[in-house]
Amino acid sequence: MTDIGNIALWITLLLSAWTVVVGFVGGRTRRPELARSAERSIFVMWGLLVIASVALMRALLTHDFNVEYVAAYSSRNLPVFYTWSAFYAGQKGSLLLWALVVSTFGSVALLVNRGKYRDLTPYVAATLAIVVLFFTATMVFASNPFERLAFTPPDGRGLNPQLQNPGMVFHPPMLYLGYTSISVPFSFAVAALISGRLDTGWLHAIRRWTLASWLFLSCGIVLGMWWAYVELGWGGYWAWDPVENASFLPWLTMTAFLHSVMIQEKRGMLKKWNIGLVVGSFLLSVFGTFLTRSGVISSVHSFAQSNVGWFFLVFLVLAAVLGFGLLAWRWPMLQAEAKLESMVSREGAFLFNNLILLVIAFSVFWGTLFPVISEAVRGTKVTVGPPFFNQVNVPLGLMLLVLTGIGPLIAWRKASPENLKRQFLWPTTAMLVTAVSLAAVRMTNAWSIVAYALGAFVVGTVVQEFVRGTLARHHLHGEIYPLAFVRLVGRNRRRYGGYVVHLGIVMLFAAFAGLAFKSEREVTLKPGQSVDVKDPYGDTFHITHQGVSQYEQLNRFVTAASVDVLRNGKYVGTMKSEKRQHLDSLGRPTFEPSTEVAIWSTAREDLYIVFAGAVKGTEEAVYKIVINPLVWWVWYGGLVLALGGIITMWPGAQGGPTAASRRRAEPAGYVAQVGV
Amino acid sequence: MWRKSASSLLALALAVAGGLAAQAPRDSALSQAVRERTGNSLGRLAVPEAAGRSTAAVTARDDAALVQAIEHQIRCTCGCNLDVFTCRTTDFTCTTSPAMHQLVLARLDSGMSEAQVLASFQKQYGEMIFMAPPKRGFNWMAYVMPYVGLAVGLGLVTALARRLIHARAAGAAASEAPAGTAAAGGASPEELEKLKRELERFEA
Repeated sequence: MTDIGNIALWITLLLSAWTVVVGFVGGRTRRPELARSAERSIFVMWGLLVIASVALMRALLTHDFNVEYVAAYSSRNLPVFYTWSAFYAGQKGSLLLWALVVSTFGSVALLVNRGKYRDLTPYVAATLAIVVLFFTATMVFASNPFERLAFTPPDGRGLNPQLQNPGMVFHPPMLYLGYTSISVPFSFAVAALISGRLDTGWLHAIRRWTLASWLFLSCGIVLGMWWAYVELGWGGYWAWDPVENASFLPWLTMTAFLHSVMIQEKRGMLKKWNIGLVVGSFLLSVFGTFLTRSGVISSVHSFAQSNVGWFFLVFLVLAAVLGFGLLAWRWPMLQAEAKLESMVSREGAFLFNNLILLVIAFSVFWGTLFPVISEAVRGTKVTVGPPFFNQVNVPLGLMLLVLTGIGPLIAWRKASPENLKRQFLWPTTAMLVTAVSLAAVRMTNAWSIVAYALGAFVVGTVVQEFVRGTLARHHLHGEIYPLAFVRLVGRNRRRYGGYVVHLGIVMLFAAFAGLAFKSEREVTLKPGQSVDVKDPYGDTFHITHQGVSQYEQLNRFVTAASVDVLRNGKYVGTMKSEKRQHLDSLGRPTFEPSTEVAIWSTAREDLYIVFAGAVKGTEEAVYKIVINPLVWWVWYGGLVLALGGIITMWPGAQGGPTAASRRRAEPAGYVAQVGV
Repeated sequence: MWRKSASSLLALALAVAGGLAAQAPRDSALSQAVRERTGNSLGRLAVPEAAGRSTAAVTARDDAALVQAIEHQIRCTCGCNLDVFTCRTTDFTCTTSPAMHQLVLARLDSGMSEAQVLASFQKQYGEMIFMAPPKRGFNWMAYVMPYVGLAVGLGLVTALARRLIHARAAGAAASEAPAGTAAAGGASPEELEKLKRELERFEA
């Protein structure tokens, strides 16, 4: 079966090269048979990559250790649940997954747009084929998942214990989905530039794809935070690691695009900017993979490093030349259809929102690369860690939060003083009341006070929008309030889904601001001994060490340390933190012992306990105890954000392009093609 | 790379084959050790090595605010990207961060202040020992550039907006000149503009 998989990869390679040629030639010469061939080739490529993926999965499930990848990333006693993680645990498998997902998205994009955008689809197919060609070429020539060993080992090396966590089953695929789905908007942007069909029509084709990419990236990032929090044991969820930053960068540019595209759809402005953002987002997604794979910058994700990083660099440069070269070529055709009337307008707020998002992206990019720049310029290595990123990005993040609140309050085109007064009254009141209340309860951290006050401002904005909309429906249609609310959201999904996303963002900011009150300490306890830990709210946790037990479980030997926890004298529960020594199928230790954290989580705070080790082989245990305020809000903020994204992209006429946007698509002849 | 991975797998295969020849266990060696050592003195772990690196009891001094403050500023040199405090309380296989912790304690014991301890680490390891670039010389570029970017962006957006607004004002003035001239379709520019506004409002 693995040979079939290998053959499938080779055929995909040849077919993708064919698709690139016939796609571009077919589009250029307007020969429908070539265009159709290019489109159909994408479906065939998808089928071939499915065969290759099934072949690799089968090799993993049947423990075919003659395949080097299977021997390197799985073992006989690896739980079946994590065999899926083994598929993309290494570089070779993840390249295959990437190619499979690109071809899947490409096929779906061509399928749902069948018969529409005929000028664009040959170029879309060709551009997608370039991406698939790159991945299959990298696999076939440098990193083949079906590479065989000269012998068959009786067992494999097994999967890194840190990857044996439910978070790892979902976090990497989500990020891959986010990264790869950007290929579709990128392909449509390239197609629009080549074909010269530069009105808003192509935006309709990619609207849901950009939302989907953004949603996948958001979920992938939050799941990655959750994995880091529960698995790595350092008490935090975001370390500004280069690879974390790499996933954050396209998210920022996609967020900017999702705002600025509204201006293009509504006013026909920012055309160059929007194409630039789509191209930039795609390049940043490739840049993320380059960082992960190249080892250019030191990262905790070093288990994924390899020599194919330089393949990605070359691809990155070529894609940048293609994307920005085409943009420069079509520059004169991308003139705005309307003029800005006032900076005090929704357009003005979105411009500043885009600016801040881009500046944050630049600061993250700059900070991530600064060690390399410093070494190149001065010959001196420096470390750019969390203190730098927090210092630079906290003020920028707060500016963004201000604009998150201001944007929905200002009218399109030009806001009148009456409009501003009416719109800002309640949100500003909420902001001031929050700030005064927090100062009154003696909150000491000024940044946190500002963050919560601005959060209240944004929540005030969103609540005001929902309340006014619901009341208006109630008065106009006589609907009862719950029905009016549901219909309000259902009939303006894009707008109100966006507001729900804003609520999620506020929850995330609230959680980040809570980090200012984090406290951590180490204690050594003999069985029966206790320690008291105060939280920022003034409550006391009384933690009593119960003892340490050892036992075998699944594919590991567990050393578990237990504590009883009381808060203000009231029993909370028994918490257990573990050290896990993973074993191979012969019962011998593999990898270094890993740590499982004990977490007691509430909306107010997390009690985070790590069994740091046993003192000289006894039950006397060293614990790291962390009080993490408001971490719960990260996970639920992420959920709210995802919910908002889903509402926004939910299929149906009401979720589609606005009337203004449809009208803008008319001059280019897309009117009959809209209504996806 | 292929040769390297093949040789490491060969070593793995040999080791596994050796293990197969020696035993056919139902339980792991670690579990057997648990059974064998049952009855040891109370409080001793049956398999201490399975609990990770043996550690010493933590004293109040190890956890002191000053020690944490210093160790949060310096990076563990094991390659983990974490600061010394986080690494030594997280990565229990790391031997570098505990050694750096002992250095911090020793330097504080010798009467050094926080700044002197940090300076001594810089002398020993260079600037990369700090979790953030020290604010001097070329390193200022790291801190300043994002805000330079913001200033440039603000300047560009403002200039662009002014130009667009002026262009619009000039356009409006020019369209007023041939007053009374009906535009295509019989509607005046003002009427067209009004219609456009109404449409936009309706759509919004």
